[in-house]
Amino acid sequence: MTAWIDFARGPLFRLSLALMVLGLLRIFIITLLEVRDGYRANSDKIVSWKEIRRQTLGWLFPMFRLWRQRPIYSTVSFLFHIGLIVTPIFLASHILLWRQSVGISWAALPQVAANWLALLVIFTGAGLFLGRALYSPARKISHRQDYFWPLLLITPFVTGYIASNAVISPRTYQEMMLVHIYSGDLILLLIPFTKLAHCVLAPLSQLVTGVAWKFPPGAGDRVAETLGFADRPTWVLNPRLTTAPVEEAIRKGGVAK
Amino acid sequence: MDRVRRLKLILWMLLGLAAAVAITRFFFGLGATTHLSDATPWGLWVGFDVMGGVALAAGGFVVTATVYIFKLDEFHSIVRPAVLTAFLGYVAVAVGLLFDLGLPWHIWYMTIYWNPHSPLFEVGWCVMLYLTVLTLEFFPVPAEDISALASVRRFLVKLRIPLVIVGIALSTLHQSSLGSLFLIMPYRLFPLWYSPILPVLFFVSAIGLGLMMVILESHFTAYLYRRKPETKLMRPLGEAAGWVLILYLALRFGDLAYRGQLHYLFASAWQVKLFWVEIAAMAIVPLVMLWQRQFRKSSNWQWATAAIATTGIVLNRIDVGGLADLSRGGSLYLPEWTEIVISLGIVAAATLLFLFMVEHFRVWEHRPADPDADPRKLPEFNKVGFTWLGTPVIAGRVKYSLAFVLAAGFGFLLLGSPRAASMGATPTPTHRARGNVGNIGLQLAAARTGKPAPATAGTGVLYLDADLTNWGVTFYHQREIDRNGGEKSCVICHHMNMPHDQESGCYECHRDMYLPTDSFRHDWHASPKGANLACVQCHERGYPRTSAHVKPCSDCHKDLVPAGATIKITTYIAPSYVDAMHTLCIGCHVKVAQKENKPEIARCAECHKGKLNFAAAQNYLYSRHAPAGRLVVLPPPKVSEVH
Amino acid sequence: MRAAILTDTTKCIGCSECVIACKKVNHLPNDIPQRWDMNDGLSADNWTSVIGEPADKFVRKQCRHCLEPACVSACPVGAMHKTELGPVIYESAKCIGCRYCMMACPFGIPRYQWSDPVPHVRKCILCYDRIKEGGQPACTEVCPTKATIYGDRDQLLAIAHQRLRENPGKYINRVWGESEVGGTSVLYISDIDLSFLTYGEQFGKMPLPDATRPAMEAVPFAFVGMGAAMAGLYWIIKRRMKLEAERADEKAGGKPGSEE
Repeated sequence: MTAWIDFARGPLFRLSLALMVLGLLRIFIITLLEVRDGYRANSDKIVSWKEIRRQTLGWLFPMFRLWRQRPIYSTVSFLFHIGLIVTPIFLASHILLWRQSVGISWAALPQVAANWLALLVIFTGAGLFLGRALYSPARKISHRQDYFWPLLLITPFVTGYIASNAVISPRTYQEMMLVHIYSGDLILLLIPFTKLAHCVLAPLSQLVTGVAWKFPPGAGDRVAETLGFADRPTWVLNPRLTTAPVEEAIRKGGVAK
Repeated sequence: MDRVRRLKLILWMLLGLAAAVAITRFFFGLGATTHLSDATPWGLWVGFDVMGGVALAAGGFVVTATVYIFKLDEFHSIVRPAVLTAFLGYVAVAVGLLFDLGLPWHIWYMTIYWNPHSPLFEVGWCVMLYLTVLTLEFFPVPAEDISALASVRRFLVKLRIPLVIVGIALSTLHQSSLGSLFLIMPYRLFPLWYSPILPVLFFVSAIGLGLMMVILESHFTAYLYRRKPETKLMRPLGEAAGWVLILYLALRFGDLAYRGQLHYLFASAWQVKLFWVEIAAMAIVPLVMLWQRQFRKSSNWQWATAAIATTGIVLNRIDVGGLADLSRGGSLYLPEWTEIVISLGIVAAATLLFLFMVEHFRVWEHRPADPDADPRKLPEFNKVGFTWLGTPVIAGRVKYSLAFVLAAGFGFLLLGSPRAASMGATPTPTHRARGNVGNIGLQLAAARTGKPAPATAGTGVLYLDADLTNWGVTFYHQREIDRNGGEKSCVICHHMNMPHDQESGCYECHRDMYLPTDSFRHDWHASPKGANLACVQCHERGYPRTSAHVKPCSDCHKDLVPAGATIKITTYIAPSYVDAMHTLCIGCHVKVAQKENKPEIARCAECHKGKLNFAAAQNYLYSRHAPAGRLVVLPPPKVSEVH
Repeated sequence: MRAAILTDTTKCIGCSECVIACKKVNHLPNDIPQRWDMNDGLSADNWTSVIGEPADKFVRKQCRHCLEPACVSACPVGAMHKTELGPVIYESAKCIGCRYCMMACPFGIPRYQWSDPVPHVRKCILCYDRIKEGGQPACTEVCPTKATIYGDRDQLLAIAHQRLRENPGKYINRVWGESEVGGTSVLYISDIDLSFLTYGEQFGKMPLPDATRPAMEAVPFAFVGMGAAMAGLYWIIKRRMKLEAERADEKAGGKPGSEE
């Protein structure tokens, strides 16, 4: 068992961390490049930076927007995210591992605070899971994987909490650590390749909508060509597919500038 | 997927692997990532990346001389790719050097601290200057498309002939000086490689390699971009290279004959085999292939010839740079996989840059059409989730970066524990002290002093050599007991036994000869089958679980540190066997030496009397643990450290 | 005065006092055997060692402080110096880490801090700080049997030859370091063959910097010569091509010299 734990906290952890950091960097850069390509292809070069900023910050911090609509959900979700990010990074035992293996260290949370934060993550995570499962509008827009994420995310917190307060442990310390480390590695591995990537993409989502998600000129023609109607002019297929209403809206100042 | 994209995918993967190794190299140093040693301080990075790289880039000066000086205008079309290859080659050399130098951020010191006697100083300066020349020579190509740079471009084009001449002169200097580097080590390099005309040999072979490299590059890119191979154009280049190689062979063997070293050619050392492989690959096989009729027509034949010759000449550089060293211990240097990955990564980066330049600027007369750039080509989809990846060009971007990231992660998985590797210490498990060696040990001592063996010979004598190298200390256990007051004195040395055991050997806790051991058995204490303790029964609540916040062992094991013990236990980290023995023995010896004014009993030789010959065991032990003569010397501890 | 050390291996009892003194004076940490060691006891943290082989003899190994050191001539940034007094010392602050000195040294003395991300070359400096102020190296000071002694090189050579003369048969009739590779400041007399202190070859008398000197002296000539040759060739070929073109024009009946 020790050998399995050593593998997970040695080579496997290095693999997961490298994949997470580089993978996140990769999708961040790719998204920016796509925004650039999209912007270049657009005929409509108007970008409302103010609106993008307002939207991004508004959805990032619950007190601005979401608070008014769903106060409980927004608070729970916000606390969950805070604990999820802060606890593993600033836990004294994790920092100790860093110091032993690479030789770098930083300020640590007091152990009591870390314990409370772990509990916070566990309960808010469970709450999010239950909310999704029990609230029918949420259930309707949920995929199967959406139930899986909160459970996976709180696994290392549950096992870590039990392992560090071993009086309540149902199994031995080693078994708890095994689950703790492997689930932690799995999360790191999955982050850049799944919807967990929103940890770096969230600030970009409004940018994509605002800058890149516009129809490039001639898009309709290409659709027509792909569908095999290349010989017919686009408006024959759908007379409403013209840019006239948009242009008119711009003229009137309806689309923010 | 087209050839170009498949190649790019592989190159990005190599780059990713190299990135993982590169990070480790700069965090943990050369010891963690190379197989270099004090016996072979130069290895693959000098031999391949620097010396091979410079030689591979020789095509630049050879082709510019052919076209601009000798006015052979039919070769004009290969000037640009040749200069580009040379430019990227030198950039690769500089990057390779950054990896190999121990203090790469000091590389610019060569510009302010001068030692003109050093060939390396000259090589450094020439490479710096030639890189500048190559930049100026190549700059007009990318500047073609930028109208703002038109005047700069016109100026550089006017400056072309002087630049070409300076470039040729600089290349002559450093191509040959790379050979001069090794003139200073006649006792180190194997005689088949050492020669006073090494600079000349290096220069001549560099010309041959430059020509071969041009052929190889032309055919390879023709294959990649599905262009028509320039077989007709390459033929005279190959033949010229053939003459250069004949000259090289004549020089090399003539020099060996002149200096009377020919008999080494038939010696039985492994270096001789290496020599023949090298000579065959760099000259003999390519020459034979050049004479065949196929060389005139077949592009495959041409590029095979060039590939063999370049491999051979690069092998020559690697041999001189490290492989053909005579090291005192006879230890053979073989590169670590990390070294190979870095070298490949640098080549991959240079190739990717080459492909980028070729696709974006007019390096060839016709810029190759990217087969994927057609906007009407259907978009690609991810095979796993069937997500839209975009047009083939954008899909390429997505795939290359994924290959890079995955390879880098895999590289981190492969890199063992860099921390442990950077310490360079191989674990040396310890063994029980050997008993019943009294006769041999005392006889050895008696023979040395000339006195008759003492009466205690044969009883109570131990030989302490926990690593079983036969280098150890004859320990007169009975004598120590007698001197220190009989059976009661055990506690002075036997400070911390295993539970319920008064005679456990030192090796049971000091488990490594040179590294400290964690002697606390965590599994046993926490396991239900063992002590069945919860963490918090030893560790303080609310603190990280380290040795800093833990109950001392003596809280439970009250008999473990007996009263009167010489050493107090503060932590369960047992020092290395060597440190433990030295601290324990030398501490007392120093005290007694001071008290009784007998300085000799505190000296190393008092106990370390030499090697003991266990005749029966010797062969077996030596075949496995062979570090004969490994002397580890530690200063005696201060008396105050020993209680 | 040219500082030097004479080691008489017949007097060495292998007590390693010199090694311990060296460690103390130079503040060298403890070391452990490492992968990159050369099995002679020397390392970046151990500048002198006593080799206990062959056959129960003890031979002290340290930097030889050559009279014409290869390392000094090799160092591209001049971090290595041969001092007036004799010791070969180095300025680590200038080092770029190329390890050419390690390759160049015929005795394989300089060692590298391979385990360090910021590594330097290290070796014996003959206690330069001490001897500059009139003292002597720590190793010779502590030697209990005077097997290794410090003094002026000429005087030590005289002592060595005297010992060889006075004890015929006891020593091999040779002072190691007197003349090989141009002579070294650290001399040995011995009753066993000491070629294992080097790469096992018999050294010639030529100082190693002399091996590169001709090549380095040729550098300016090669540069100017190659440049001039290329410029000359360029001019000749251009001229010849021009003449040929004119002749071709004449033959073709065009007016000589007319270029559109």
